[in-house]
Amino acid sequence: MQFIKSIRQYGIFLAFLLICCFLTYANSQFLTLSNWTIIITQVSINALLAFGVTFVIITGGIDLSLGSVVAVAGVVAALLASQSDLPLLIPVLGGLLSGLFFGLINGFIITKSKIAPFIVTLGIMTMGRGLALILSKGRPISNLSDSFNFIGGGDILGIPLPIIILLIVFVISYLLLKKTVFGRYIYAIGGNEQAAWASGINVSKIKIAVYALCGTLAGLAGILLTSRITTGQPNAGAGFELDAIAAAIIGGTSTSGGKGTITGTLIGALLIGVINNGLDLLNVSSYYQQVIMGAFIIGAVLLDSWNQRSSKA
Amino acid sequence: MFTFMKKISFIILCITIFSCSPSKSSDKNKVKIGVTMLSMQNEFIVNVADAMQVKADDLGIELIIVDAERSPLKQIEQVESFIAQKVDAIIMNPIEFEASSPAVEKAISANIPIINVNSATKATPTAFSGSNDKESAQIAMKYIVEKTGGKANMVMMHGIMGQAAQIQRDAGVKDILKKNPGISLLAEQTADWDRAKSMDLMQNWIQSYGNKINVVFAQNDEMGLGAVNALKAAGLKDKVLVISVDAIKDALASVQKGELDATVFQNAKKQGYSAVETALKIIQKKPFDKEVMVPFELVNTENVAEYIK
Repeated sequence: MQFIKSIRQYGIFLAFLLICCFLTYANSQFLTLSNWTIIITQVSINALLAFGVTFVIITGGIDLSLGSVVAVAGVVAALLASQSDLPLLIPVLGGLLSGLFFGLINGFIITKSKIAPFIVTLGIMTMGRGLALILSKGRPISNLSDSFNFIGGGDILGIPLPIIILLIVFVISYLLLKKTVFGRYIYAIGGNEQAAWASGINVSKIKIAVYALCGTLAGLAGILLTSRITTGQPNAGAGFELDAIAAAIIGGTSTSGGKGTITGTLIGALLIGVINNGLDLLNVSSYYQQVIMGAFIIGAVLLDSWNQRSSKA
Repeated sequence: MFTFMKKISFIILCITIFSCSPSKSSDKNKVKIGVTMLSMQNEFIVNVADAMQVKADDLGIELIIVDAERSPLKQIEQVESFIAQKVDAIIMNPIEFEASSPAVEKAISANIPIINVNSATKATPTAFSGSNDKESAQIAMKYIVEKTGGKANMVMMHGIMGQAAQIQRDAGVKDILKKNPGISLLAEQTADWDRAKSMDLMQNWIQSYGNKINVVFAQNDEMGLGAVNALKAAGLKDKVLVISVDAIKDALASVQKGELDATVFQNAKKQGYSAVETALKIIQKKPFDKEVMVPFELVNTENVAEYIK
């Protein structure tokens, strides 16, 4: 019985290991240090977004504006980084603050107006895309400074910078959610907002902070993407929000709120990355990649509802 | 009354054209052309639209440029509203071969000349100005054959599957491959015209094929530049030939730096210019070419300077 329970709890982790075993068997290149360096670098942007949206989903909300915020932050950072006389800090701050700005707007409108997060962030998503196009005049911004391009393309002691950034953000997010009062409040709000409010938690403040955090991470993701492809593109990031939400859900975050972990989300993001990488290595058409990914999203939610039912019984 | 007005407007039109005085004021008798573009979020398409605007300003024509945002339905509605506004001609940059055809038929049956720019539709328009996408891939492939002596291991990055440019460029590549059995296609995969996706794909290919790859053909420059980035990071760029299509600004800069080996230039300016010129000829009932084919041009380190402005 204990065994079955643990299968249920660690289902996604097991699925992840199984896929890795299969790919190791199918392709000799899969389980090499260099390939895993690639996988984790490729996963980093989605993982940053997924961490942010995990916080939001745990409070019972959703953020659809992520992809557009990535584009705006990327364009702002690129505009600042193409002025080579500015120090590196300026474009980085510009990107992060653009993300923070959109996060705060999302948070304020959602808490003050009581409009559903789905609708507010959908609106901000459209506005953000428009703003990115306006700021860039619809064209990619290139000739970014070398120091800026180093963020996405460089490495320290052989470890690509995106991986280092990912690790740092992972540790911070993990601690924030698991070890702080802020984290406990987030779970409390997602579990039962009324009860959280009645017990004296400042629900609005926590929610605004959560959306602001999510937006800032999207800003960071925008900086990373822009410097990785060495150009600021107003169309970048379209659909990123869905990949991020998929990673969170595959990782066991419950869309009804109150449940989810940063580690789970990381595994969700890695799973998506491993499937993409593995199927590329095996030269499988990307059509199948999409079908498989869809199956995983539904499978993860099924597993979650199965868990909930059995824990209630 | 109607014909009288038409004559007057025609005379005024002639005066404006022959005196060649572009006036910004929107006087009512100015030639009006409705333009619907595939997507104003695409750099190449924006370049075509800009060229049309420049030409129109030169000729003293008023352009109404609208963005169909990649929606064939929206494009048809835009053409319908141009017909209702009684514009003198319509220039359409079709979204899709089949789906944009009804717009052509509607304009023709309303007796308004319609000119397709950049890509074709199934229905025959009054005139066409653009290029044959298949040719772009053929030019690139011929360069690859020449550079490798017809023996190479190639990988190809596709655009979004099913789009006209992807289908045409794929067909162009496969044509040349058939004639050159020494070039083997190791792998082909889509990277959705996207630079970030192409970097990921290239990294994965380097992982599985390693040193076997000598040539990368990407169906657009964004993907070509992504491949260059990934190859550079892996220290393999010197050993691998990368060729892509479109000659966007970044690609030209990369060719000049000696990173991207070649790109194929699609002349946005000429396509835009000739679309407006043809429209005006039709309106003035002058003889015009039903098909203006703007040729593609190969750009490599030798001639890249001519293309950078």
